[in-house]
Amino acid sequence: MNLSFDRLRRAAADKTRAWAARRHGRDSLPIRIGRRRIYILPTRFGLMLALILVAMLIAGLNYNSNLGLAFAFLMVSVAMVTMHHCNRNLLGLLVDVATEADAFAAREASFEFALQNDSKVERRDVEVLCGAGSAIRSVAARSSEPLRVAVPTATRGITRLAQFELRTRYPFGWFHAWTYVQGALTVYVAPAPLGNRTLPSVGGQGSASRIETRGDEDFSGLRAYEPGVPLKHMAWKVLARGGEAAVRSYTGLAAQPEWLDWSALEGQGTETRLSQLCLWVLESEAAQRPYGLRIPGEEIAPARGPGHAQACLRALAAFGIAEPP
Amino acid sequence: MKRDKVTYEDLLGICACLTLALAAHIASLPVWVLVTIAVAAGIRLLLAHRGRGAPPRALRLTISAVAIALLFLRFRTFNGLTAGSALLALTAGLKLLETETKRDIYVVTLIIYFVSISALLEGESFWLLAYLIGVCWLTTATLLRVTTTRPAPAWPRSLRYAGRILMQALPLALAFWLFFPRFGGALWQMPDDGGSATSGLGDSMSPGDIDDLAQSDDIAFRVRFSTAPPPPQERYWRGPVLHDFDGHTWRHSYPVSISAPALQDQGPAYRYTLSLEPHRHNWIFALDWPAQWDLPHGALNGDYTLVQPEPVARPIDVTVTSYTHAQSDEPLSAPLRKLDLAPPKRNPRTLKLAQAMRSAHPDDMDYVRSVLSMFSEQAFYYTLTPPKLGEDSVDEFLFDTRRGFCGHYASAFAALMRAAGIPAHVVTGYQGGTFNRFADYWILRQSDAHAWDEVWIAGHGWLRVDPTSVIAPERVERGLTDAVGADEHLVSRWQRRTPWLADARLRLDALRELWRERILLFNQDSQQQLLELLGIPEPDGEKLVLVLAAALTLGLAWLTWQVRRELEPGQKDQVIRAYSRLCEKLAAVGIARRPHEGAEAFAARVAEHRPDLGAAVDALCRDYSTLRYAPAEARITIGEFAAAVRAFRPRAHMRS
Repeated sequence: MNLSFDRLRRAAADKTRAWAARRHGRDSLPIRIGRRRIYILPTRFGLMLALILVAMLIAGLNYNSNLGLAFAFLMVSVAMVTMHHCNRNLLGLLVDVATEADAFAAREASFEFALQNDSKVERRDVEVLCGAGSAIRSVAARSSEPLRVAVPTATRGITRLAQFELRTRYPFGWFHAWTYVQGALTVYVAPAPLGNRTLPSVGGQGSASRIETRGDEDFSGLRAYEPGVPLKHMAWKVLARGGEAAVRSYTGLAAQPEWLDWSALEGQGTETRLSQLCLWVLESEAAQRPYGLRIPGEEIAPARGPGHAQACLRALAAFGIAEPP
Repeated sequence: MKRDKVTYEDLLGICACLTLALAAHIASLPVWVLVTIAVAAGIRLLLAHRGRGAPPRALRLTISAVAIALLFLRFRTFNGLTAGSALLALTAGLKLLETETKRDIYVVTLIIYFVSISALLEGESFWLLAYLIGVCWLTTATLLRVTTTRPAPAWPRSLRYAGRILMQALPLALAFWLFFPRFGGALWQMPDDGGSATSGLGDSMSPGDIDDLAQSDDIAFRVRFSTAPPPPQERYWRGPVLHDFDGHTWRHSYPVSISAPALQDQGPAYRYTLSLEPHRHNWIFALDWPAQWDLPHGALNGDYTLVQPEPVARPIDVTVTSYTHAQSDEPLSAPLRKLDLAPPKRNPRTLKLAQAMRSAHPDDMDYVRSVLSMFSEQAFYYTLTPPKLGEDSVDEFLFDTRRGFCGHYASAFAALMRAAGIPAHVVTGYQGGTFNRFADYWILRQSDAHAWDEVWIAGHGWLRVDPTSVIAPERVERGLTDAVGADEHLVSRWQRRTPWLADARLRLDALRELWRERILLFNQDSQQQLLELLGIPEPDGEKLVLVLAAALTLGLAWLTWQVRRELEPGQKDQVIRAYSRLCEKLAAVGIARRPHEGAEAFAARVAEHRPDLGAAVDALCRDYSTLRYAPAEARITIGEFAAAVRAFRPRAHMRS
């Protein structure tokens, strides 16, 4: 019975979600939660409270007791005020999220949300639900909180979540206010990094020249300041001399590239090959040496750094999968 | 849904709240129920303190079953306030024992709310309401701490937040309370469990009964005259009339079938409102002799006492018109004559005395006067602490002790009358009253309880005779405190010696009366008057509901505004917003602030490029810096700064 009740509730929730999606259309991020998109219903605890309130009213009326009625009406009003407070807990919250996340198969993708509260009141216990994952956080007055929601991933490929949900039961857990945001979230699920082949270069044949890997990067020049640049890159001396604010820019060290090639893994299944390539990308990146990726239909020129690794992993994730329009 | 385990601190908080809520019931709950709850809470807390869960299910079920069975055996019902409250309290205690998850705590909070209201259903005091709202506040704050994620907000913060929600709920609650239709009667009758035992007059009188009442400062009723009040010696408030005397005790025992002779009222009419405190009987202490009243089921019984069918279980207001004089030219009916002539049993000396005096005074009035003069001329004393009397109470009083209170004199007088063949009975009630000059009403306390006599004089009817007024005229004219000797113990006397304390007492009572009048007795009539006051013609139930809807709409609009107002950014943000508006305006005329540029550097650059704007921008930027970084030294307010920015309209023109 409990099971069927849960199923019923889930079906109802799916229906509401679809209805909300039709009603609000696609949202652009960051989004400020407006009052027209916040829904609110009593929780099970709230329904029990309602029952008690009705009993209180009947008792007060039956005993013709003005004090009893005063207390009952006060409690009814407290419930009404609480409903407003629950609704307010989401109202005007600015929500942003990086719409793309990377993950490996059978692990978790984590979405980095940012909840920004511009008001004077704390937003307590705001829960973000995203796919099968959820996380809860309180945001102090006039501040912003990062929130990481881990979504479990199954198989390699590109997973899209059309919608995420913000909800809260604060205060008292009598009401449940929630809102749907139609912000398409994409997870690039790279293959699980597996394999027993060593990196081509480490294998011995081919490029024998050892690449000196220096951790430092080289200064390459100045460019104009723009907000958001790390402070340690500021050209303070230039500014102190009375010039324009400028930022020092750096470039990485050029080094011998290495090709991670699909064709080098002849005779293995597609997923096995992709897993091996994925492992190589991670190993090369860890060794801080430049590498390129060559798979059927795509070639990524040699480079290194997190951005490059991400591009390679996404190419592996998307391999053989038709990009939806 | 996560089954969150409760912590020791949660349990401690909820136990404290439950204890405070139950404290309001302490007088009506059986001791073993309280002990059971305390033990259950204690065991659970001890287990939680050691990090253990609830006791095993079988044990819990057994304890619950036994406790509830015991409760049923005790009350034989769960219906009614006392039994219901006991059951509720027991349930809360047992629920505490099995509390494992947060959801169990939720249930306990709901029970606490209900326990609180059940204490108010028969309560009347402002302090009880205030106390229980306090309990509700604390419970709600505890609930807040239980329902939020860890770490829970600190106690002061939780209390502040719960308090704010309560404050915001007040206007709505007031709207509900004022305009929610009252039905006037009970939806269904609950058994009267007589839980609210109050002291007061009973339907019998033994020597010593009224002396006990004299020590009670409890209020019996209050009276507000709309005409001038009668003089003190005519302020007799009629209660039960006692006919049956067994030599020691007078009893009411009056057959309903006997009809009383009709009265012709005489003298001025007195109109007044009686505000009765609840007591265990159905009589209304109207001034002698009541003629008209606005009590729906009120009627005079054969003794001319105003009664209603039900006991006065809750405070009521009755408006009555009385005449202090009345006559009857009808003859006394035979059964009534028989009832009021029944000779006093025992008391042989009294009988002998009566016969001797009667032979000297064959006229009824003469005889009455001679008995009264016997009291005044011989050595009779009026005292609060008379000696104890035995079976022949009148004999012992008249011939041995000669010290007595009003009851002794009334009893002896009636016995002497009956022994002489004059129909007589004892009337109990209240006499006099204290005037509250701060609020223009009279207070009748239990210490004003009194007993007097009525004798039947042919051609006149019932004649009131108060033997006490002969012994101690001060009792009737000024009240008890002045009548008894200064060496006698009387609780209210020490306060009377301090005038300002007596005044304070009267002022406090005036407040209490206001509370009673405006709050406790608020009913359909009050709602009608309220609507008329609001200028609504011909108020009816429908209009009341409309007004309720309107008031709630207003209240909710206010609430929405109140709640959303707190979402507005703070003052600091206003400063920043105004400043960025200023920067936008300057950017529009070609001077954009650079991201790294501070306010003063920016102002300097503006002055360089646009000397015409320099002074204005410099002033605005200075104001911005002060408001933002040293608000205490600011020479203008944030609002003024924002207004100045609004007024600043730079014109785009070529550099000169």
